[in-house]
Amino acid sequence: MSRLEQFTDQWLPIIGKSVIETFQMVGISLFFAVLIGIPLGILIVLTRPGQSLQNKFLYQLSNLVINIVRSIPFIILLFFILPFTKSIVGTTIGVKGVIVPLVIYTAPYIARLMESALLEVENGVVEAYTAMGIKTRSIIWHVMLREARASIILGLTISTVSLIGATAMAGMVGAGGLGDVAYRFGHLRYEVDVMYATVFILIILVQSIQSIGNRLAARLKKD
Amino acid sequence: MMIVLENISKEFNSKNGKVKAVNNVNIHVKEGEIHGVIGYSGAGKSTLIRCVNLLERPTEGKVYINGVETTSLPLPKLREARNKIGMIFQGFNLLKTATVYDNIAIPLKLLGYNKAEVQNRAEKYLEIVGLTDKHKNYPSQLSGGQKQRVAIARALAQEPEILLSDEATSALDPETTDSILDLLLKINRELGITILLITHEMNVIQKICDHVYVMENGHVVEQNNAIQLFTKPTHPTTKKFLNTISQRNLSPRLISQLHVTGAVTRLTFVGESTGQPLLAEVSQKFNVKPNILTANIIELKNGIVGNIVIHLIGEKDQVNAALQFLEENGVGIENLEGQS
Repeated sequence: MSRLEQFTDQWLPIIGKSVIETFQMVGISLFFAVLIGIPLGILIVLTRPGQSLQNKFLYQLSNLVINIVRSIPFIILLFFILPFTKSIVGTTIGVKGVIVPLVIYTAPYIARLMESALLEVENGVVEAYTAMGIKTRSIIWHVMLREARASIILGLTISTVSLIGATAMAGMVGAGGLGDVAYRFGHLRYEVDVMYATVFILIILVQSIQSIGNRLAARLKKD
Repeated sequence: MMIVLENISKEFNSKNGKVKAVNNVNIHVKEGEIHGVIGYSGAGKSTLIRCVNLLERPTEGKVYINGVETTSLPLPKLREARNKIGMIFQGFNLLKTATVYDNIAIPLKLLGYNKAEVQNRAEKYLEIVGLTDKHKNYPSQLSGGQKQRVAIARALAQEPEILLSDEATSALDPETTDSILDLLLKINRELGITILLITHEMNVIQKICDHVYVMENGHVVEQNNAIQLFTKPTHPTTKKFLNTISQRNLSPRLISQLHVTGAVTRLTFVGESTGQPLLAEVSQKFNVKPNILTANIIELKNGIVGNIVIHLIGEKDQVNAALQFLEENGVGIENLEGQS
């Protein structure tokens, strides 16, 4: 048996499982983070002074909340909100236990990226649609989100990559994933090959996500 | 009356306290007419036109659209009223991510028209603005003039009674400006759409306006129908604007020098008096020699205005008699004074 075959025989099941775990964590938390982050981003854009639903209280409150959450490093957040996690999903360990902190960590980040994407949309277009007597709801959907879609895609790409980074810490609560394998086997047990293999997979993963995001954004952008 | 602005004022809070951008302005636009507001930047004209469809809420005063007071309407009713008011902008304000066709079709869909009607109208108005062959292009592939045509088609597709134009030609070169103005004239004549526009370019007023308001520091300082305004301007700002399309003023020093030998007078010819050889008659009937210093002719939407500045050389009584004769024949007379 060659050395490569030996390596794959020994590690492929473990690494394969961890890849699936990473995909699970990223996929599920991204879904919920988008569900919270995009409306939150729209909210801070629409409630800011001079916008259609301007509301100083709501604007400053949501800004404050976003800033507070974003100041906490993920590793701290993970433990800091353990009681909250338990009350939501009933456990604090495994993939299930890490989803809640991952969502809370990523949603405000997505909201900020949404904010900057939406602020790029020319106010004049929104004004033109308001002048036509079109409802604010339709304007949000068909003008603001539409015009910002290339920047939104790029923002979501950045969020996904940072989410993959955060899942490396998920091993702390026994959720597994690529980062966990690299840490436990690669670092603690001096299996340097495992470290290299997981890092290589992570690089490929991040590269492809970024390329897909860039290509999609370029196709959606028409100017 | 299609548009009535009654005692409109708009105050803004700025760092240096309250600023009155529009101060007690009254505007009445009859159905089917084109009215223009001209002023330098900062005069308040942009705020004023945005008060018409209430993109800007006036702090005081009332707005009536086709007899309905819109300033007190609740939002759903206001949206309905806005459906009848199209607006075009200096910056075009098109969706960059949508084709020319979709830029016209999307608002119609959002306004609840059915598929067939959306397609019908989009095609019809694309043809009116002459862009049928560009319907698949994106705005970034169009020139400024073409973008404004798309914006006009989008506004027309709502089939409005009123079109508001917020400096629609200010970003365009002179030739394109002319073609857009021709298009506005065409839709005014053929579709009967009432137009209120703001501009800082006198040639826009000259080419298409029936009635003109001159704005400065939030006030309307002079208003009149276009012919009257071009022949008998009274406010210094109006005169400055008229100077931008034809050099009307001679230097006071030159006028003083000429005054030694006779009066320096501006003659304004409107309508019928433009056709008669009145200056030739004057020199035969009276003992005066008219010397033409400057002359120009301005074509307005509703007529032609001629301007001649003459130096009437002769005795004072003969000069006065000659001027009286000219005035009796319908010529506007304005004596130009030199340095005092």
